[in-house]
Amino acid sequence: MKDVFSSYHPFVNLCYFVLALGCGMFFMHPVCLALSLVGGFSYMAVCKGRKALGFGLKFMLPVLLITAIMNPAFNHRGVTILTYLWSGNPLTLESILFGLATACMLAAVLCWCACLSEVMTADKLVYLFGRIVPALSLMLSMVLRFVPRFGVQLREVSAAQRCIGRDVSNGSVFQRMRHGIRILSILVTWSLENAIDTADSMKSRGYGLKGRTAFALFRFDRRDGAALAVILLLGAVMLAGGVCGVTTYQYFPSLAGGEPSVWAALVFVAYGVLCGLPLMFNGWEAQKWKRLQSNI
Amino acid sequence: MNQKIKWGIAGAVVLCVLVVAFVWGGDFASKDTEVLSGTSSPSASAEISPTASASASPSASPSVSPSASPSASAAAAVSAKPSAAATEAPRQSISPETGKDAYQTEPVPEGQPVPVEPQEVEVTDNELTCTISIRCDTLLANMDSLAPEKRALVPADGVLLAERTVTFHEGESAFNVLRRETKQNKIHLEFVNTPVFNSAYIEGIGNLYEFDCGELSGWMYKVNGWFPSYGCSRYALKDGDVVEWIYTCDLGRDIGADGGWQR
Repeated sequence: MKDVFSSYHPFVNLCYFVLALGCGMFFMHPVCLALSLVGGFSYMAVCKGRKALGFGLKFMLPVLLITAIMNPAFNHRGVTILTYLWSGNPLTLESILFGLATACMLAAVLCWCACLSEVMTADKLVYLFGRIVPALSLMLSMVLRFVPRFGVQLREVSAAQRCIGRDVSNGSVFQRMRHGIRILSILVTWSLENAIDTADSMKSRGYGLKGRTAFALFRFDRRDGAALAVILLLGAVMLAGGVCGVTTYQYFPSLAGGEPSVWAALVFVAYGVLCGLPLMFNGWEAQKWKRLQSNI
Repeated sequence: MNQKIKWGIAGAVVLCVLVVAFVWGGDFASKDTEVLSGTSSPSASAEISPTASASASPSASPSVSPSASPSASAAAAVSAKPSAAATEAPRQSISPETGKDAYQTEPVPEGQPVPVEPQEVEVTDNELTCTISIRCDTLLANMDSLAPEKRALVPADGVLLAERTVTFHEGESAFNVLRRETKQNKIHLEFVNTPVFNSAYIEGIGNLYEFDCGELSGWMYKVNGWFPSYGCSRYALKDGDVVEWIYTCDLGRDIGADGGWQR
């Protein structure tokens, strides 16, 4: 499925991700964590497709488990003592739950970051920040482009070296190490040269000069305005909830917080809407498309 | 396939390093864990003692007399007249350059027991008694500097463990008794082993931690009215000792510690 939210104005995207990542990082209430994780993961599945599931299983599950185990091994706070560890310190229920909560937060933030890298492409970044901080935005877009390009170039160099019997798969252990270092050296030289080339090329085109305009396909239309209004409204609700302490939860020394109230329910509903917003946009778009088709 | 094995080896190496760091780091109680587990409960010690003696006696009985006995037997004698025995007891080995012993402890004042290294002590099955209490009444006067979520942890009278007489085995330290009593009375205790001082450091009891009530707060211990200048793992208890664990909010000044070790 094609992601519709990516086609919104870059400023709307930026506002949304700042809000989603900020809330995901700072709100440790279990309900918030669950909403953020579900929203982030399902949006990542939409953005990345089948790849997302592999990423989730191969990378995120181990990180989740390690984080959840590490915390009770080193943190012994909490009033509910389950048993005593080998070191002699207590294993507490609170430390286990806090470990799980931090693991969920980490996973959710990773999901949102994966979505961010899919949606906020280099052209959008340059469009947004090219005027304000030209050098920084150029650098940012170069850095973002650097990682995939480095991988492509690595495969290319490696294939060329393999032809002359100098790849990391040829020879004894020491020879392989030497070949590996040689390939790395080639790559570093290439990337430095490439960076200077890019900088020179941008300079010769007058990038960042006063009075130059940049062509962009982005237009802030009514749909973007409505989306931005919704995002800012939800952000205001979340900020108010955060200030009132609805979204905070006490893990130590004993679990406390999260008394149900109308205000808390409202904040959680708002957060659920916020986390599911891109999916809703996608859904509406699909529905609209269907309706238009059936009208023909 | 080859790639997979490489990653597996890398992962195993990282795991090994982590395990070694965990064991060598401060979070692992090395010797006294095993000693303690043999004599875990004083009430059950009558049943345990045969097995404990069977396992410990071959090394314990001969070695007690030459190496550990001066401090141990002197300590037994001291309980009645501390000053007389202090002259017989071996003093600390103080390094002339630093004026401290191997574990950063300054000379212990006359009449007080010298530190005993836990790794050298043999725990015998000779049963002795001491009294122990855990108090945090200084917090009652400083409730406003305590975090709100911690206030419910402070009992109304400030007593976490009322004074009681407990049984211990000769050679056990103040730390051994504290661990056993907190475990038995279901009181939370977190400690960390500090190799520099060759002792456990008590970070928190009953979820009341150091620095919870300002940067000068934490747990201190007092035996027979004296605040020892060394860690609780190095304090070998004698029969009839009165051990008090007290929370301070002002580096001991509010609980009557003269702070001799601070000078």
